[in-house]
Amino acid sequence: MIYLDHAATSFPKPPEVVAGVCNCLQSCAGNAGRGGYRSSIQAAELLYDCRAAAAKLFGAASPEQVIFTAGATAAINQAVRGSLRPGDHVLISDLEHNAVYRPVWKLAKEGKITYTVFPTFANDPSATAEKILQGIAERIRPNTKLLVCTHASNVCSAVLPVAKIGALCRRYGIRFVVDAAQSAGHLPVDLGALSANAVCIPGHKGLCGPQGVGLLILEQNTVLEPLLQGGSGVGSLDPEMPGDPPERYEAGTLPLPAIAGLHQALKLAEKRSFAAVRLREKRLWEALAGDLRAIPGVSVAAPQFSGAVLSFWSDRIGSEPLAAALDERGFCVRAGFHCAALAHKTLGTPRGGAVRVSFGEGSRREDVRLFANALREILLEL
Amino acid sequence: MPNPTNGGTCLLPVGTVTRAMHAKEVLAHGGIAAIVVRNDPAATGSGCAYAVSYACGREREVRRLLRAAGIRPYGGKRI
Repeated sequence: MIYLDHAATSFPKPPEVVAGVCNCLQSCAGNAGRGGYRSSIQAAELLYDCRAAAAKLFGAASPEQVIFTAGATAAINQAVRGSLRPGDHVLISDLEHNAVYRPVWKLAKEGKITYTVFPTFANDPSATAEKILQGIAERIRPNTKLLVCTHASNVCSAVLPVAKIGALCRRYGIRFVVDAAQSAGHLPVDLGALSANAVCIPGHKGLCGPQGVGLLILEQNTVLEPLLQGGSGVGSLDPEMPGDPPERYEAGTLPLPAIAGLHQALKLAEKRSFAAVRLREKRLWEALAGDLRAIPGVSVAAPQFSGAVLSFWSDRIGSEPLAAALDERGFCVRAGFHCAALAHKTLGTPRGGAVRVSFGEGSRREDVRLFANALREILLEL
Repeated sequence: MPNPTNGGTCLLPVGTVTRAMHAKEVLAHGGIAAIVVRNDPAATGSGCAYAVSYACGREREVRRLLRAAGIRPYGGKRI
Protein backbone atom coordinates (compact mmCIF):
# COMPACT_ATOMS: atom_id res chain seq x y z
CA MET A 1 0.00 0.00 0.00
CA ILE A 2 1.19 3.51 -0.79
CA TYR A 3 -0.57 6.04 1.37
CA LEU A 4 -1.06 9.44 -0.26
CA ASP A 5 -4.03 10.80 1.69
CA HIS A 6 -2.24 12.69 4.45
CA ALA A 7 -4.50 15.71 4.06
CA ALA A 8 -7.34 13.51 5.33
CA THR A 9 -5.28 11.96 8.10
CA SER A 10 -1.62 11.11 8.46
CA PHE A 11 -0.42 7.53 8.34
CA PRO A 12 1.50 5.76 9.73
CA LYS A 13 1.66 7.44 13.10
CA PRO A 14 5.15 7.79 14.61
CA PRO A 15 6.04 5.02 17.09
CA GLU A 16 6.34 7.63 19.86
CA VAL A 17 2.71 8.64 19.29
CA VAL A 18 1.51 5.03 19.31
CA ALA A 19 3.48 4.39 22.50
CA GLY A 20 2.05 7.53 24.08
CA VAL A 21 -1.52 6.40 23.44
CA CYS A 22 -0.89 2.81 24.53
CA ASN A 23 1.01 3.73 27.68
CA CYS A 24 -1.76 6.07 28.71
CA LEU A 25 -4.47 3.48 28.09
CA GLN A 26 -2.51 1.02 30.19
CA SER A 27 -1.39 3.26 33.03
CA CYS A 28 -3.43 6.47 33.30
CA ALA A 29 -5.94 5.94 36.08
CA GLY A 30 -8.46 8.63 36.86
CA ASN A 31 -10.11 11.56 35.17
CA ALA A 32 -7.90 14.62 34.81
CA GLY A 33 -9.18 17.69 36.61
CA ARG A 34 -11.80 15.86 38.58
CA GLY A 35 -10.23 13.96 41.46
CA GLY A 36 -7.63 14.86 44.04
CA TYR A 37 -5.95 11.46 44.27
CA ARG A 38 -2.45 11.11 42.93
CA SER A 39 -3.21 9.37 39.63
CA SER A 40 -5.89 11.94 38.79
CA ILE A 41 -3.37 14.71 39.43
CA GLN A 42 -0.84 12.83 37.26
CA ALA A 43 -3.41 12.70 34.47
CA ALA A 44 -3.89 16.47 34.86
CA GLU A 45 -0.12 16.91 34.61
CA LEU A 46 -0.15 15.03 31.33
CA LEU A 47 -2.82 17.39 30.00
CA TYR A 48 -0.88 20.38 31.20
CA ASP A 49 2.38 19.22 29.63
CA CYS A 50 0.59 18.80 26.30
CA ARG A 51 -0.94 22.27 26.60
CA ALA A 52 2.48 23.73 27.43
CA ALA A 53 4.05 22.04 24.38
CA ALA A 54 1.26 23.33 22.14
CA ALA A 55 1.52 26.84 23.62
CA LYS A 56 5.23 26.89 22.81
CA LEU A 57 4.80 25.55 19.26
CA PHE A 58 1.85 27.74 18.30
CA GLY A 59 2.69 30.93 20.19
CA ALA A 60 -0.03 30.93 22.86
CA ALA A 61 0.52 33.30 25.77
CA SER A 62 0.19 30.49 28.30
CA PRO A 63 -0.91 26.84 28.50
CA GLU A 64 -4.35 28.08 29.63
CA GLN A 65 -4.91 29.46 26.12
CA VAL A 66 -4.66 25.96 24.63
CA ILE A 67 -8.09 24.34 24.48
CA PHE A 68 -8.59 20.70 23.64
CA THR A 69 -11.38 19.99 21.19
CA ALA A 70 -12.57 16.92 19.32
CA GLY A 71 -10.71 18.16 16.24
CA ALA A 72 -10.23 21.19 14.00
CA THR A 73 -13.92 21.21 13.03
CA ALA A 74 -14.99 21.42 16.68
CA ALA A 75 -12.41 24.16 17.26
CA ILE A 76 -13.69 26.16 14.27
CA ASN A 77 -17.30 25.77 15.38
CA GLN A 78 -16.38 27.00 18.86
CA ALA A 79 -14.41 29.96 17.52
CA VAL A 80 -17.03 30.96 14.93
CA ARG A 81 -20.26 30.33 16.78
CA GLY A 82 -18.77 31.51 20.05
CA SER A 83 -17.79 34.84 18.48
CA LEU A 84 -20.94 35.91 16.70
CA ARG A 85 -24.03 37.80 17.77
CA PRO A 86 -27.23 38.46 15.82
CA GLY A 87 -26.68 41.07 13.13
CA ASP A 88 -22.96 40.39 12.69
CA HIS A 89 -21.34 40.09 9.29
CA VAL A 90 -18.64 37.52 8.53
CA LEU A 91 -16.03 37.26 5.79
CA ILE A 92 -14.81 33.88 4.56
CA SER A 93 -12.58 32.98 1.63
CA ASP A 94 -13.53 31.14 -1.53
CA LEU A 95 -11.21 28.25 -0.58
CA GLU A 96 -13.00 27.27 2.62
CA HIS A 97 -13.58 23.75 3.81
CA ASN A 98 -17.09 22.94 4.98
CA ALA A 99 -15.78 23.11 8.56
CA VAL A 100 -15.85 26.87 8.05
CA TYR A 101 -18.50 27.25 5.37
CA ARG A 102 -21.26 25.16 6.96
CA PRO A 103 -21.40 26.80 10.41
CA VAL A 104 -21.34 30.24 8.78
CA TRP A 105 -23.92 29.25 6.17
CA LYS A 106 -26.22 27.77 8.83
CA LEU A 107 -26.10 30.87 11.02
CA ALA A 108 -26.93 32.93 7.93
CA LYS A 109 -29.75 30.58 6.97
CA GLU A 110 -31.21 31.02 10.45
CA GLY A 111 -31.20 34.78 9.84
CA LYS A 112 -28.72 35.47 12.64
CA ILE A 113 -25.80 36.75 10.59
CA THR A 114 -24.79 37.64 7.05
CA TYR A 115 -21.62 36.60 5.29
CA THR A 116 -19.58 37.47 2.22
CA VAL A 117 -17.09 35.30 0.36
CA PHE A 118 -13.88 37.07 -0.61
CA PRO A 119 -11.79 35.92 -3.61
CA THR A 120 -8.37 34.33 -3.25
CA PHE A 121 -7.72 34.21 -6.99
CA ALA A 122 -6.32 30.72 -6.50
CA ASN A 123 -6.98 29.95 -10.16
CA ASP A 124 -5.19 33.06 -11.35
CA PRO A 125 -1.40 32.70 -11.70
CA SER A 126 -0.97 36.48 -11.58
CA ALA A 127 -2.74 36.88 -8.21
CA THR A 128 -0.92 38.62 -5.38
CA ALA A 129 -1.42 38.99 -1.64
CA GLU A 130 -2.22 42.65 -2.22
CA LYS A 131 -5.05 41.72 -4.56
CA ILE A 132 -6.52 39.39 -1.92
CA LEU A 133 -6.20 42.10 0.74
CA GLN A 134 -7.87 44.62 -1.51
CA GLY A 135 -10.72 42.16 -2.11
CA ILE A 136 -11.17 41.78 1.63
CA ALA A 137 -11.02 45.51 2.35
CA GLU A 138 -13.68 46.18 -0.29
CA ARG A 139 -16.05 43.74 1.43
CA ILE A 140 -15.68 44.97 5.01
CA ARG A 141 -18.90 46.45 6.38
CA PRO A 142 -19.55 48.44 9.55
CA ASN A 143 -20.97 45.27 11.16
CA THR A 144 -18.17 42.93 10.00
CA LYS A 145 -17.11 41.24 13.23
CA LEU A 146 -15.26 38.15 12.08
CA LEU A 147 -13.01 36.95 9.30
CA VAL A 148 -12.33 33.24 9.19
CA CYS A 149 -10.19 31.62 6.56
CA THR A 150 -8.01 28.69 5.82
CA HIS A 151 -4.25 28.99 6.13
CA ALA A 152 -3.55 26.34 3.48
CA SER A 153 -6.12 24.86 1.11
CA ASN A 154 -7.13 21.20 1.42
CA VAL A 155 -7.71 20.96 -2.35
CA CYS A 156 -4.60 22.60 -3.81
CA SER A 157 -1.34 23.87 -2.35
CA ALA A 158 -2.45 27.50 -2.12
CA VAL A 159 -1.36 29.23 1.08
CA LEU A 160 -3.22 32.40 2.00
CA PRO A 161 -1.29 35.48 3.22
CA VAL A 162 -2.73 35.02 6.70
CA ALA A 163 -0.26 37.27 8.52
CA LYS A 164 -1.23 40.16 6.23
CA ILE A 165 -4.92 39.29 6.55
CA GLY A 166 -4.50 39.25 10.33
CA ALA A 167 -2.87 42.66 10.29
CA LEU A 168 -5.72 44.00 8.17
CA CYS A 169 -8.28 42.56 10.58
CA ARG A 170 -6.45 44.10 13.52
CA ARG A 171 -6.59 47.49 11.78
CA TYR A 172 -10.36 47.23 11.30
CA GLY A 173 -11.06 45.70 14.73
CA ILE A 174 -12.30 42.46 13.19
CA ARG A 175 -11.82 39.18 15.01
CA PHE A 176 -9.62 36.81 12.98
CA VAL A 177 -9.88 33.00 13.10
CA VAL A 178 -7.45 30.81 11.16
CA ASP A 179 -8.25 27.28 10.04
CA ALA A 180 -4.83 25.63 10.24
CA ALA A 181 -6.12 22.15 9.42
CA GLN A 182 -3.70 21.75 6.50
CA SER A 183 -0.86 23.95 7.69
CA ALA A 184 -0.12 22.81 11.27
CA GLY A 185 2.85 20.48 11.08
CA HIS A 186 3.69 21.64 7.55
CA LEU A 187 4.23 25.39 7.99
CA PRO A 188 5.08 27.63 10.95
CA VAL A 189 1.82 28.54 12.70
CA ASP A 190 2.13 31.22 15.36
CA LEU A 191 -0.88 32.96 16.87
CA GLY A 192 0.98 36.24 17.43
CA ALA A 193 2.73 36.31 14.05
CA LEU A 194 -0.66 35.84 12.38
CA SER A 195 -2.32 38.54 14.53
CA ALA A 196 -5.05 35.94 15.02
CA ASN A 197 -7.62 35.70 17.78
CA ALA A 198 -7.87 31.96 17.34
CA VAL A 199 -6.12 29.21 15.44
CA CYS A 200 -7.84 25.86 14.91
CA ILE A 201 -5.66 22.77 14.61
CA PRO A 202 -6.31 19.06 14.13
CA GLY A 203 -4.12 16.61 16.02
CA HIS A 204 -4.17 13.87 13.42
CA LYS A 205 -3.11 15.53 10.17
CA GLY A 206 0.22 17.31 9.74
CA LEU A 207 1.09 16.88 13.40
CA CYS A 208 0.80 13.09 13.01
CA GLY A 209 -1.06 12.65 16.29
CA PRO A 210 -4.05 10.39 16.90
CA GLN A 211 -7.58 11.13 15.78
CA GLY A 212 -10.04 12.43 18.36
CA VAL A 213 -8.24 15.51 19.58
CA GLY A 214 -7.66 18.97 18.16
CA LEU A 215 -6.57 22.33 19.49
CA LEU A 216 -8.11 25.76 19.71
CA ILE A 217 -5.31 28.23 20.38
CA LEU A 218 -6.92 31.34 21.79
CA GLU A 219 -5.49 34.82 22.05
CA GLN A 220 -5.30 35.93 25.68
CA ASN A 221 -7.94 38.66 25.56
CA THR A 222 -10.37 36.79 23.32
CA VAL A 223 -13.40 35.48 25.17
CA LEU A 224 -15.93 33.23 23.44
CA GLU A 225 -19.35 31.97 24.39
CA PRO A 226 -18.80 28.28 25.19
CA LEU A 227 -20.71 25.96 22.86
CA LEU A 228 -20.83 23.11 25.34
CA GLN A 229 -22.06 23.24 28.89
CA GLY A 230 -21.34 20.59 31.48
CA GLY A 231 -18.90 19.38 34.07
CA SER A 232 -15.57 21.16 34.26
CA GLY A 233 -14.18 20.05 37.63
CA VAL A 234 -14.34 23.55 39.04
CA GLY A 235 -17.06 25.76 40.55
CA SER A 236 -19.52 22.88 40.62
CA LEU A 237 -22.13 24.81 42.57
CA ASP A 238 -22.24 27.53 39.92
CA PRO A 239 -24.67 26.84 37.02
CA GLU A 240 -22.46 28.84 34.65
CA MET A 241 -19.37 27.50 32.94
CA PRO A 242 -16.13 28.78 34.50
CA GLY A 243 -14.94 32.15 33.24
CA ASP A 244 -11.35 31.12 32.64
CA PRO A 245 -9.93 29.14 29.74
CA PRO A 246 -9.35 26.36 28.98
CA GLU A 247 -11.98 24.72 31.18
CA ARG A 248 -14.57 27.29 30.07
CA TYR A 249 -14.62 25.53 26.69
CA GLU A 250 -13.97 21.93 27.75
CA ALA A 251 -17.19 20.55 29.24
CA GLY A 252 -16.99 16.83 29.86
CA THR A 253 -14.18 14.33 30.06
CA LEU A 254 -11.22 14.88 27.77
CA PRO A 255 -9.74 12.07 25.61
CA LEU A 256 -6.62 11.55 27.71
CA PRO A 257 -5.06 8.74 25.59
CA ALA A 258 -5.41 10.82 22.41
CA ILE A 259 -3.93 13.81 24.21
CA ALA A 260 -1.02 11.66 25.42
CA GLY A 261 -0.36 10.73 21.79
CA LEU A 262 -0.71 14.33 20.67
CA HIS A 263 1.83 15.38 23.29
CA GLN A 264 4.38 13.05 21.72
CA ALA A 265 3.46 14.36 18.27
CA LEU A 266 4.01 17.95 19.42
CA LYS A 267 7.43 17.05 20.80
CA LEU A 268 8.35 15.63 17.40
CA ALA A 269 6.94 18.66 15.59
CA GLU A 270 9.03 20.97 17.76
CA LYS A 271 12.18 19.34 16.35
CA ARG A 272 10.94 19.57 12.76
CA SER A 273 12.49 21.99 10.29
CA PHE A 274 9.53 23.50 8.50
CA ALA A 275 11.80 24.78 5.73
CA ALA A 276 12.98 21.21 5.09
CA VAL A 277 9.40 19.90 5.21
CA ARG A 278 8.30 22.53 2.72
CA LEU A 279 11.19 21.83 0.38
CA ARG A 280 10.54 18.08 0.42
CA GLU A 281 6.83 18.62 -0.27
CA LYS A 282 7.54 21.02 -3.13
CA ARG A 283 9.94 18.55 -4.71
CA LEU A 284 7.41 15.73 -4.50
CA TRP A 285 4.70 18.03 -5.83
CA GLU A 286 6.81 19.21 -8.76
CA ALA A 287 7.83 15.66 -9.66
CA LEU A 288 4.22 14.48 -9.64
CA ALA A 289 2.89 17.54 -11.47
CA GLY A 290 5.56 17.06 -14.13
CA ASP A 291 4.52 13.42 -14.61
CA LEU A 292 0.81 14.28 -14.69
CA ARG A 293 1.21 17.12 -17.18
CA ALA A 294 2.85 14.69 -19.58
CA ILE A 295 -0.31 12.53 -19.63
CA PRO A 296 -2.81 13.70 -22.28
CA GLY A 297 -6.16 14.84 -20.88
CA VAL A 298 -4.94 15.24 -17.29
CA SER A 299 -5.28 18.67 -15.61
CA VAL A 300 -3.74 19.86 -12.35
CA ALA A 301 -5.63 22.29 -10.10
CA ALA A 302 -3.91 25.62 -9.31
CA PRO A 303 -0.58 24.59 -10.81
CA GLN A 304 1.14 27.79 -9.69
CA PHE A 305 1.18 26.51 -6.09
CA SER A 306 3.37 23.59 -5.07
CA GLY A 307 3.23 21.90 -1.69
CA ALA A 308 1.68 19.00 0.17
CA VAL A 309 -1.57 18.79 -1.82
CA LEU A 310 -2.12 18.15 -5.52
CA SER A 311 -5.55 17.65 -7.09
CA PHE A 312 -6.01 16.55 -10.68
CA TRP A 313 -8.60 15.15 -13.02
CA SER A 314 -8.75 13.31 -16.31
CA ASP A 315 -11.11 14.12 -19.14
CA ARG A 316 -11.51 10.36 -19.76
CA ILE A 317 -12.69 9.03 -16.38
CA GLY A 318 -14.43 10.46 -13.32
CA SER A 319 -12.50 11.06 -10.13
CA GLU A 320 -14.22 8.34 -8.06
CA PRO A 321 -13.74 5.50 -10.56
CA LEU A 322 -10.17 6.68 -11.07
CA ALA A 323 -9.48 6.63 -7.32
CA ALA A 324 -11.08 3.17 -7.13
CA ALA A 325 -8.78 1.92 -9.93
CA LEU A 326 -5.80 3.42 -8.10
CA ASP A 327 -6.94 1.70 -4.91
CA GLU A 328 -6.91 -1.64 -6.76
CA ARG A 329 -3.25 -0.96 -7.49
CA GLY A 330 -2.55 -0.15 -3.85
CA PHE A 331 -2.73 3.67 -3.80
CA CYS A 332 -4.74 5.49 -1.15
CA VAL A 333 -5.95 8.80 -2.57
CA ARG A 334 -9.17 10.71 -2.12
CA ALA A 335 -11.59 11.65 -4.88
CA GLY A 336 -14.62 13.93 -5.09
CA PHE A 337 -15.02 17.34 -3.55
CA HIS A 338 -13.03 16.95 -0.33
CA CYS A 339 -15.73 18.64 1.78
CA ALA A 340 -14.82 21.90 0.07
CA ALA A 341 -17.48 22.96 -2.42
CA LEU A 342 -16.30 26.57 -2.41
CA ALA A 343 -12.72 25.60 -3.18
CA HIS A 344 -13.68 23.30 -6.03
CA LYS A 345 -15.83 26.01 -7.54
CA THR A 346 -12.96 28.47 -7.26
CA LEU A 347 -10.53 26.02 -8.85
CA GLY A 348 -12.90 25.10 -11.65
CA THR A 349 -12.80 21.36 -11.17
CA PRO A 350 -15.21 19.36 -13.36
CA ARG A 351 -18.60 17.94 -12.27
CA GLY A 352 -17.05 14.74 -10.93
CA GLY A 353 -14.59 16.58 -8.75
CA ALA A 354 -10.89 15.75 -8.60
CA VAL A 355 -8.48 13.14 -7.31
CA ARG A 356 -6.37 14.50 -4.48
CA VAL A 357 -2.85 13.30 -3.72
CA SER A 358 -1.43 14.58 -0.44
CA PHE A 359 2.04 14.05 0.94
CA GLY A 360 3.15 13.40 4.50
CA GLU A 361 6.19 12.59 6.59
CA GLY A 362 6.82 9.22 4.97
CA SER A 363 6.12 10.16 1.34
CA ARG A 364 9.02 9.40 -1.02
CA ARG A 365 9.98 10.25 -4.59
CA GLU A 366 9.53 6.56 -5.43
CA ASP A 367 5.85 6.79 -4.37
CA VAL A 368 5.33 9.54 -6.92
CA ARG A 369 7.00 7.54 -9.71
CA LEU A 370 4.92 4.44 -8.97
CA PHE A 371 1.75 6.52 -8.73
CA ALA A 372 2.31 8.18 -12.11
CA ASN A 373 3.05 4.78 -13.70
CA ALA A 374 -0.15 3.31 -12.26
CA LEU A 375 -2.16 6.26 -13.51
CA ARG A 376 -0.73 5.90 -17.01
CA GLU A 377 -1.61 2.19 -17.01
CA ILE A 378 -5.18 2.85 -15.87
CA LEU A 379 -5.74 5.48 -18.55
CA LEU A 380 -4.22 3.26 -21.24
CA GLU A 381 -6.60 0.44 -20.30
CA LEU A 382 -9.69 2.60 -20.75
CA MET B 1 -6.42 33.72 51.19
CA PRO B 2 -3.89 31.06 52.13
CA ASN B 3 -5.04 28.68 54.82
CA PRO B 4 -2.27 27.38 57.04
CA THR B 5 -2.62 23.65 57.52
CA ASN B 6 -0.64 21.16 59.56
CA GLY B 7 3.16 21.13 59.38
CA GLY B 8 3.62 24.70 58.21
CA THR B 9 2.06 24.06 54.81
CA CYS B 10 -0.16 26.65 53.19
CA LEU B 11 -2.89 26.18 50.61
CA LEU B 12 -3.88 28.71 47.99
CA PRO B 13 -6.98 27.85 45.95
CA VAL B 14 -6.58 29.04 42.34
CA GLY B 15 -9.58 27.43 40.60
CA THR B 16 -9.12 25.07 37.69
CA VAL B 17 -6.62 22.25 37.64
CA THR B 18 -4.90 23.91 34.64
CA ARG B 19 -4.48 27.13 36.58
CA ALA B 20 -3.16 25.15 39.54
CA MET B 21 -0.64 23.37 37.27
CA HIS B 22 0.42 26.72 35.88
CA ALA B 23 0.82 28.11 39.40
CA LYS B 24 2.94 25.11 40.36
CA GLU B 25 5.13 25.66 37.27
CA VAL B 26 5.54 29.37 38.02
CA LEU B 27 6.53 28.60 41.59
CA ALA B 28 8.96 25.88 40.47
CA HIS B 29 10.66 28.40 38.14
CA GLY B 30 10.92 30.69 41.15
CA GLY B 31 12.56 27.94 43.19
CA ILE B 32 9.53 27.12 45.31
CA ALA B 33 8.34 23.55 45.58
CA ALA B 34 4.57 23.25 45.41
CA ILE B 35 2.07 20.53 44.76
CA VAL B 36 -1.42 20.61 43.26
CA VAL B 37 -4.15 19.47 45.58
CA ARG B 38 -7.90 19.46 45.65
CA ASN B 39 -9.26 22.32 47.71
CA ASP B 40 -11.88 21.90 50.41
CA PRO B 41 -15.12 23.08 48.71
CA ALA B 42 -16.30 24.59 51.97
CA ALA B 43 -13.38 27.03 51.84
CA THR B 44 -14.39 28.70 48.58
CA GLY B 45 -18.15 28.42 48.75
CA SER B 46 -18.69 27.77 45.05
CA GLY B 47 -17.80 24.14 44.85
CA CYS B 48 -14.84 22.21 43.55
CA ALA B 49 -11.49 23.86 42.96
CA TYR B 50 -7.80 23.11 42.95
CA ALA B 51 -5.12 24.71 45.04
CA VAL B 52 -1.35 24.84 45.29
CA SER B 53 0.27 23.75 48.52
CA TYR B 54 3.65 25.12 49.61
CA ALA B 55 5.70 25.88 52.69
CA CYS B 56 4.15 28.78 54.59
CA GLY B 57 7.61 30.25 55.05
CA ARG B 58 7.65 31.15 51.33
CA GLU B 59 4.31 32.95 51.52
CA ARG B 60 5.55 36.36 50.42
CA GLU B 61 7.48 34.99 47.41
CA VAL B 62 4.52 32.84 46.40
CA ARG B 63 2.26 35.86 46.32
CA ARG B 64 4.78 37.89 44.37
CA LEU B 65 5.45 35.19 41.76
CA LEU B 66 1.80 34.35 41.18
CA ARG B 67 0.80 38.00 40.99
CA ALA B 68 3.51 38.60 38.37
CA ALA B 69 2.19 35.64 36.37
CA GLY B 70 -1.37 36.99 36.49
CA ILE B 71 -2.62 34.10 38.61
CA ARG B 72 -5.33 35.13 41.03
CA PRO B 73 -6.64 33.16 43.98
CA TYR B 74 -9.95 31.46 43.34
CA GLY B 75 -12.73 33.99 43.80
CA GLY B 76 -11.01 36.76 41.86
CA LYS B 77 -9.31 38.64 44.68
CA ARG B 78 -5.84 40.00 44.08
CA ILE B 79 -3.00 38.11 45.67
